[in-house]
Formats: sequence, C-alpha cells, structure tokens
Amino acid sequence: MSRAELQRRLLQATDALGALSLSRPQCQRALSFRQNSPSQCLSTTSKNSAELTSENSQEKFTAAPPIDFNTFNKAKKPQPLSLKTLRVIPASPSYFSAKPTFTDDFINLSALLRKVATLPTVPASEAPRVAWKTIHQYRIMVNEPVKTLRYHRILDILHRLNRIHPSLMPEEVREAMLRYKKAAQPEDRIPKPGVIDELGRAKGVGRRKTSSAVAWVVEGEGEVLVNGKNLSQFFGRLHDRESAVWALKATERLDKYNVWALVQGGGVTGQAEALTLAVAKALLVHEPALKPALRRAGCITRDPRKVERKKAGHVKARKMPTWVKR
Amino acid sequence: MSSSICLRRLPQLSSESSIHSSIGSRNLLSSTQTSSFSTSTARFASPLMKKKTGQVAAPKRGAKTLNVKKGRGGSGRDTGRKPAIGERKALRKRIVLSNTNALEVPTLQDLTKDNVLDKAVEGKVMGIPGEVVDALRAVEAFKTSQGWSLFRRPAALMRKETVQIAELVKQVEAGEAKAKQTIRKVLVGDKMSGKSTLVLQGLMIALLRNWVVINLPDAKDIVLGHTEYAPLPGSTPTQYYQETYTATLLSQIAKANSEILSKIQVTSKPALPIPTPPKLNLLKLAELGAANPEASWPVFVALWKELTLPGRPPIMMAIDNLAHVMRNSEYLSADAKPVHAHDLTIVRHFVDHLSGTKTLPNGGIILAAETKSNSPACPALDYSIQLAEARQLGREVLPEWNPYKVVDMRVMECLRNMEVLRSNGLSKEEARAIMEYYAASGMLRAKVDAPFVSERWTLAGQGNIGELERASVRARI
Repeated sequence: MSRAELQRRLLQATDALGALSLSRPQCQRALSFRQNSPSQCLSTTSKNSAELTSENSQEKFTAAPPIDFNTFNKAKKPQPLSLKTLRVIPASPSYFSAKPTFTDDFINLSALLRKVATLPTVPASEAPRVAWKTIHQYRIMVNEPVKTLRYHRILDILHRLNRIHPSLMPEEVREAMLRYKKAAQPEDRIPKPGVIDELGRAKGVGRRKTSSAVAWVVEGEGEVLVNGKNLSQFFGRLHDRESAVWALKATERLDKYNVWALVQGGGVTGQAEALTLAVAKALLVHEPALKPALRRAGCITRDPRKVERKKAGHVKARKMPTWVKR
Repeated sequence: MSSSICLRRLPQLSSESSIHSSIGSRNLLSSTQTSSFSTSTARFASPLMKKKTGQVAAPKRGAKTLNVKKGRGGSGRDTGRKPAIGERKALRKRIVLSNTNALEVPTLQDLTKDNVLDKAVEGKVMGIPGEVVDALRAVEAFKTSQGWSLFRRPAALMRKETVQIAELVKQVEAGEAKAKQTIRKVLVGDKMSGKSTLVLQGLMIALLRNWVVINLPDAKDIVLGHTEYAPLPGSTPTQYYQETYTATLLSQIAKANSEILSKIQVTSKPALPIPTPPKLNLLKLAELGAANPEASWPVFVALWKELTLPGRPPIMMAIDNLAHVMRNSEYLSADAKPVHAHDLTIVRHFVDHLSGTKTLPNGGIILAAETKSNSPACPALDYSIQLAEARQLGREVLPEWNPYKVVDMRVMECLRNMEVLRSNGLSKEEARAIMEYYAASGMLRAKVDAPFVSERWTLAGQGNIGELERASVRARI
C-alpha cells in the first residue's frame, strides 16, 4: 500500500471519527496538524513532506490560532453550555512543555511500546540492522535542544521495537520507526555481486594508503604474477609477499588458485596490502562462504588510514618547531 | 688563520706517522707539508703546539663540558687491535662448507663417477664427495652467497637443469674420437635461481668424469683493473696479458686437476722464457707457471696446446658473471683508451671458445653464467639472450634490436650463435625434495607436507631455490 493511499484513508477515518465524537473544543493547532499528517496516528506533531526527502530539514512549527468559541457553538447542535465543554484541552499533553515535539515523540513511542510489548521478539543480533538518526540530525529535525541522554531513551525504545519478530511487525510500528531512521539504510546499498567470467577469472579491487590493486584469481596451483613479475621478483621482503597472498594463505587456498594482478601507486607495503584486499575480494567471488574466515584474517575491511596532512606552523602534521630561547 | 692541515685529522696525524713510518702512505695529510727554504713551519707544526689552536675558548674553571670527541686519551678511544691488512677481506671471502650444528642426513648418498650421469638421480639431493669438494674449493666454485655453511657437508639438489648438463656431458663423451663435440651454453635465470650453483654442479660432474676443469670464478676480477697487465708482444691488434692472474689461474688448474695432469707427459717442446726440467708432466708445467708469474702466459699457452693434443681428456671451462667481460675493461692502453675486455688474453681465450671460433678437439663444454645481482648493464648480452631463447623456442617473430641503444659489435659477434640454458624455479617435487633435506638436516623445523611445500613454493616466487632457502632455512621468524 502506498503512503499516499494510506494517508487518504486515515484522513477519512479521522474525519468521520471527529464528526461523530468531537464533543468538546480542542486546540486548533492540534487539529490542523492531525489533518495535515494523519499518518502519524499517535503523534500530535506533523511530519512534513520535506522531511521524507532530506533528513536534516526542520519541521514547521506554528503557534496555534486563538480559539473562536462561536464556531464551536455554530457548528454543533445548540446544547446547554457547560463548563466541561468550554474547558479547552490541548491535544498534546506536552502543550505547555518547552520541548513539546520531543516529549510528544517520547510519549507516543512509549505508548506504542506498551501496546506491542507482548509481541514475540528476536535477539538483538538477529534484528534487522537499522541506521537511526543521530542526535544532531534529530535536533535539526525537531529544532529543539534535546539532550543526548533523552534521545538515547528514545533510541532504547526504538531498539526494543526493532526487536519485534519481523514477520509479526505491526504496520503501525513500522510507520512510527520510519520517522527516526536515516534516509540511507545499510541494506539500501547492496554491492553488485562479482561474476566469474567465461575463462574462470574473478576480479577484485583493493586499496591501501595511496596504492590500488586489481587482482584476477583463477583456479590453479599457486602461481602469482604481479605486474608481470613473479612474487619474489616484485616483493623483496618476505613479509610483503605473505601480505600479498595472505587472503589465500589464511584460508589454506594458496595451492588452489593462481593470481594475476596489477598494482600501482604508493610504496611496497601499501601495494602488498592493497593486493591483500584485492585477492580477498576476488576469492570471495569464487567462494562467498569464506567471508567470515577472511574477516577474521583481516582481509575484508579497508584500512582508511592515510598520511595526515601537514599543518601551517608545524614542521610536519603534528611536530612543532624546536623551542628556541630568544 | 686558516690551517693548512685539517684540524680534525691532527690526532690521527701524529699516530699514523709514528706507527706506519715505514709504509709509504698515499695520504697527503700524513706527511707534514714544509716548504723547502724554511724550517719554521715544520717546527711550529708540532702536534702539541697545534692542539691549542683548535679550541676557541677555554672553558671556565670548574665548569663541566661535554666532550664526545674520539680524541687521544679520551674515554671513547678505541683501544682494540686494528685488523691486519687483508684480514677483513679474508673473513669476507671465507668459504665455510660445514655446520657442525646441523644434523647428519643418514639417507644422503654421494655422487660417484657412475651414478652422476644416471637419470635416476634427478630430483634427489646428492652429497658431493670429499676430493671433488677440495677440487671445487681450489677453483673457487663455492660462493659466499650460497648456503653451504648451513649444512653438515656439501650436497646439492640434482635439479632438471643439472641433469640436462649431465646429458650434455654424456653427449660429449659419447662422441667419436675424431669429431668430439664442443658444447657452449650460457646459463641465465632470475636472481637467486641457482645459476652459479649450476656452474658448480657442471664442474662437479666434469671432475667426477675425470675431465680437465678450468674455472674463472668471477669475471669481474679479470677486468677490474686490480692486477698488473702488459701488452702481449707481437699481437695485432694489441692484446694484454695479466701475469699474476694467469699464475693464480694456473695454480688453481694444477690443484684441481692434479691427478689427471700428473699422468700426462709434455710431448711437444714448448719455448718458455724459463728453464724447464727435461722430463715434465702437465702438473709440473702448470706449477712452474704458477711459481713464475713472468712466464705464466707462455706456460698457459703451452699447457693449452698440450691439453688439445689428440687423446687428452675433455675440458670443462666455466665463467661466472659473464656481463663483466662483455664491455670495456678498467684497463687503459698506452694512448689512454680503454681496453676492451676481449683484448685481455684470458678473456680472449675464453670468448673464442664461447663464440665457437675455436673448438675443443677432444670435446668439452663451455659454461658461462650471467649474474643478476652485480652485473653491469650490457644491452648486447641481454638482446643476445632474448634472441637465443626465441630461436630455441622456435618463435616465428624474433626480437629486434633497439636502434637507440649503443651496440657493442664485438659482443654481438661473439654471442651470435650462443645457446641458452635457463634455470627456472624448481618444480614442486624438487622443492619437496630439497625441503625434506632441510628438515632432515634440522635446519627447518616444520612438518614437510604438500600444503607447506606449496605455500613456500609460492612465496619463493614459483620455486626460486635461493628464495626457498631464504624463506625456510635462513629466516627464523
């Protein structure tokens, strides 16, 4: 079901509800919000369309217009005026709070959790991975000075909600969690699966420092050619040679594959360690089940460290000139 | 005031002149410079007087100053004995062929005259018998860079290329008495791929088969300009002979081949500039040349003439570091032009046989090995190797000479028809054999199984034997 359709249906439902049971005057602001964005059925605050596109945009917050008591009386059947109907109740319990949106969010999520608390859960490790908004992104969205600790309370509830068994996850909860998710989720970016070409080659690319390496791995008996030279000609140090084929060595596949690689940029160590990653990625194409083993061997994660830039007033990146008296 | 003598050298100056007063030093500083008509400079130049001038200002009384100079009388002064002349070089060049800490390998068999040409020894590690080791040591076939000092006694893997050389030996021996073959091979291969060891194994096979062995252990020594040389009288264009080097070579030949040479009598009457005893065998002749450097070249010529008479044994000639003799030598001619290495008589002699202009009437093998670690750039040699390999592989398209490179036509001519024997990496079976030998010697403490051998084989750049040894025996991680 598309979001627009859902909104429309909910709008109809709330209108009908309001027409039937709106017996006492309510804050117009709250009403207007509810009409604007009924998808947040438990929230008094709106979720504007801009928020859906860019996560760092601010929500609109306008003050409630003054209550016109005549309209109440006109719209409804003439009833004996009672104090109860005259009493104005804000739609949000946090109407008088300095941080109404945050408090609303917290109250709504707590209410939601109470509602779904009995649903079965999965362990945290098996719950779907979600990238929640950071405190900064949330602050910008609600435009309120929210403390980190308080936001963490929200996150705790979200984590608990996320642990509900995925097959039983209510639509309501899913919708509620959407507000706190980042625009880009980890599962959005699924890398293209590697392919083994018609000659049995799998390609992998790796980088380290300023070196980059491309390796083609084929089934064979352990021959390695790097830039047209064999391993001992290309790498003088034994350690570098081991680094270059570490992915194969750690998984005991050294005598089962041949490697043909091109390396450029950087120094000897960088090139060797760029090759580690390249060979590991190409090997993963042949045997995807080796991923945990390769991760344990340290062949999956790219080392992001680079040379730190030199700063003005420093001799190098951090080094200061020697102190000279006078 | 500027001193005529570097002040830092002053302490050494006095000690040097006192200790080595008898040795004529080439150091200009070691003799005080005096002008001929005044003695005052020399008088004031006494070390005690000069010492003061080096200091800028005397430190204050009681003040402690840091003195880290290695001067005389200081605490940091080196009191140890200085090594004698040639001592350090001898240490550097020392050949150690035994390691008493390594285990004796009980299964190690020795090579003999009979089994050395046998195909069955291929892929096995075989011991080198004692008398052959002595002969090889005499001709300086062992190199310091090789791992002989790691094992109990010299032994070598009979790899595929070794067996190929053994086949060549067999081929030469099988030839008809009238038309014996002369086989010429240039050994090429990667760095540490065992080219020099292959030369050694060639010499070893020749010695076991009672051939005459002549080895030029390092071509660099011939052209380096460290031995005296003189133009050969009556040669056009002028050739140069090296007395001392030839004498050393003769003594090496005499030592290595004493048994064979002592059995052969000199039949012709060589015209030598030294008096010779009436009854002379070849061993005596060679020793005569070794003892009289001034007659060494004529003796070498006479010896060669005797060896090439019919009915004499085949000859194995070998040279290592070939690129050094394929360019100009460090010697200068009378008009200060560089002498081409091919104009040196010993090199000329070798190169004539390598190029095929001269043959060995009794048959034999000429082995030349190139080196990758210490060799000058020699485009002509590189090109000739490429060409020879392409020809041997039967390629349709032969490599072409790069016209922007300088051609040494003498080298090109010399290497026109050469044949190449490439020593590649070991096969996995050979690698396993040598690693089992390492393990049996106690130098490799690991279980030698197929995955382990395969891993080391890959890390050694597809079985490069030097790298294999480095990774499994020398590297202790």
